[in-house]
Amino acid sequence: MALAAFGQLNADDIPSWGSRSVDCFEKLEQIGEGTYGQVYMAREIKTGEIVALKKIRMDNEKEGFPITAIREIKILKKLDHENIIKLKEIVTSQGPEVDEQGKPDSKYNGNIYMVFEYMDHDLTGLADRPGLRFTIPQIKCYMKQLLTGLHYCHVNQVLHRDIKGSNLLIDNEGTLKLADFGLARSFSGDHNANLTNRVITLWYRPPELLLGATKYGPAVDMWSVGCIFAELLHGKPILPGKNEPEQLNKIFELCGSPNEINWPGVSKIPWYNKFKPARQMNKHLREVFRNFDRHALDLLEKMLILDPSQRISAKDALDAEYFWTDPLPCDPKSLPKYESSHEFQTKKKRQQQRQNEEIAKRQKLQHPQQHARLPPIQQTGQAHPQHWTGLNHPVSNYQPPASAGPSHHHYGKPRGPPGGPNRYPPSGNPSGGYYPDRGGQGGGYTSGSYPPQGRAPPYSGSSVPASGPRGAVSGYGVAPANYSQGGQYAGSGAGRGPNPMGGNRSQQYGWQQ
Amino acid sequence: MASNFWTSSHYKQLLDQEEVDVVHPLDREKGINLEDFKLIKMHMANYIGKLAQNVKVRQRVVATAVTYMRRVYTKKSMTEYDPRVVAPTCLYLASKAEESTVQARVLVYYTRKLYSDEKYRYEIKDILEMEMKILEALNYYLVVFHPYRSLSQLLQDAGMNDTQICWGLVNDTYKMDLILIHPPHLIALACIYVASVLKDKENTAWFEELRVDMNVVSLQS
Repeated sequence: MALAAFGQLNADDIPSWGSRSVDCFEKLEQIGEGTYGQVYMAREIKTGEIVALKKIRMDNEKEGFPITAIREIKILKKLDHENIIKLKEIVTSQGPEVDEQGKPDSKYNGNIYMVFEYMDHDLTGLADRPGLRFTIPQIKCYMKQLLTGLHYCHVNQVLHRDIKGSNLLIDNEGTLKLADFGLARSFSGDHNANLTNRVITLWYRPPELLLGATKYGPAVDMWSVGCIFAELLHGKPILPGKNEPEQLNKIFELCGSPNEINWPGVSKIPWYNKFKPARQMNKHLREVFRNFDRHALDLLEKMLILDPSQRISAKDALDAEYFWTDPLPCDPKSLPKYESSHEFQTKKKRQQQRQNEEIAKRQKLQHPQQHARLPPIQQTGQAHPQHWTGLNHPVSNYQPPASAGPSHHHYGKPRGPPGGPNRYPPSGNPSGGYYPDRGGQGGGYTSGSYPPQGRAPPYSGSSVPASGPRGAVSGYGVAPANYSQGGQYAGSGAGRGPNPMGGNRSQQYGWQQ
Repeated sequence: MASNFWTSSHYKQLLDQEEVDVVHPLDREKGINLEDFKLIKMHMANYIGKLAQNVKVRQRVVATAVTYMRRVYTKKSMTEYDPRVVAPTCLYLASKAEESTVQARVLVYYTRKLYSDEKYRYEIKDILEMEMKILEALNYYLVVFHPYRSLSQLLQDAGMNDTQICWGLVNDTYKMDLILIHPPHLIALACIYVASVLKDKENTAWFEELRVDMNVVSLQS
């Protein structure tokens, strides 16, 4: 990937002062949705280049240009690394208001878009693909890139503060890039500034932030990396708390509870006494993940250390045995190419899929004999039965007996109903709660759902992600045995079009067998 | 900012004196000559400084704000970009970029307090509107390197204790366009040199050792 030197971000083909209009781009498809705006995939009309446009929402801004956007722009213009998303330029669109001369008055009423290089996937979207299980060299490859990018951030004194799967973008060259610096900020080496502790998506938030620390450093990002690492190996998020107290509890259950011995100074952290568990809890990390290989477990243990000062740094993690023992991390370019998948899109597709299935069901009712072959509901809805209540769609009825979880068939396109999925545009949220949001609301171009400054009361709950368990959706943890790489693309006519899920995976859809 | 000045947009955007000293055609039509242009910018720098004292932000924010203002006027006319609203807006934007946010309404309040003149009356929405125009004029390059960081290092190296005068001199450099023209460490050096001359301190040997381009110094006075 050719990298322009820093500062040449947009020097060549763009007038050096003033920004171009968004009209230079043709929006193709929405690929993300965040608190501060939508993200679109778009094509630059002049060059045909595909880019991602992240809209900076300006309405409801009492304080002008959002400081989160200022931080993100400042930081992105400062960072230049192959594992960090590249901000290509900023474009504007004219607002509706015109001044008395009839000329467009100012950009104030318009929209502002950040233009990023387009990335095909985010890690969550990719991991959620049906039947996709990452290989160990692949996981090592992604982890190595993640740590390399993060190390670069930390060397440049930038904390990312929202490391999670949907913010790690992956292109079809296998390159992983850190994205969404909307919560990032610069830090000084001495950790003396007071920073907000209301950052990082709950599941990936380190114990020191949950305990209310306002002085922290790069270790917060390393905790998130540890969570991602375990998630990649384990197949689903390891610490899916529903709120802060539960999150802390889950952490303590896994990593033990903190005390002055394993974490000197912990009792001085603001909310320590409030959340201190009644009894000392022991560490269970090694038992819970006993199926991981030794080096992976060693590394994970160093990442998920409660005391931030003892937690491994990105630099040291890159030196870990894990990355230097067989199987070695693979070359990114050797990784398989997948069709575009962003978390936002896969979620949306699941919604569409359910609607299709509903129609399929109605048709099916005329062929009741097929039902006899299906497993009962209880068998599949095991993990989170509450999410099945109140749903009148029939997914589980069509569960192929071979599959352990209720997930894969959502991607398969039923052959039954006429027409493709795009004949059934997504409605609001036909079955709210079944595929609850993972908090970050979509792909890595978007901003997290946290207020940039912790003005909210500590437990307002408003910024707690709607953290439904994703266990039921995990694709790779329960991959069907018959998965083959070729099968992914076999017979696929769908490319990057608005509906790339077009019927190429019917073979995974078990109900017709 | 921790990142490297030599790879920054700031370094790449350094200009020559001649490029900075261009009065925009629109302003020239109105009869503004180069001297007026410089005076207005100096006045605005003072204005930003005064406002900053009232809203209590660090000197660094003032320096960034003044730099933004000076950069804007290398490209835009004062006719289109009224200095009386550009000044507070630059401070507003700089306060965000330097992580010490000041609310727009607070700025408006102090503007009114400082200047009762009708012509200085601006509303919050004027500031917010101008903010977008300034961001665009700056091409969203918001990171500015200042001489302060090098200054403290250099002062230590030169073994000078009386630093107050140097800091003052550095602050005064923002009354000119030096920050657009020279890399910050040279400005810092020049200030140290001027300070040495003023204090009759013999620093020639130290300067020679550094082999810096002493021509910069002449620009200082």
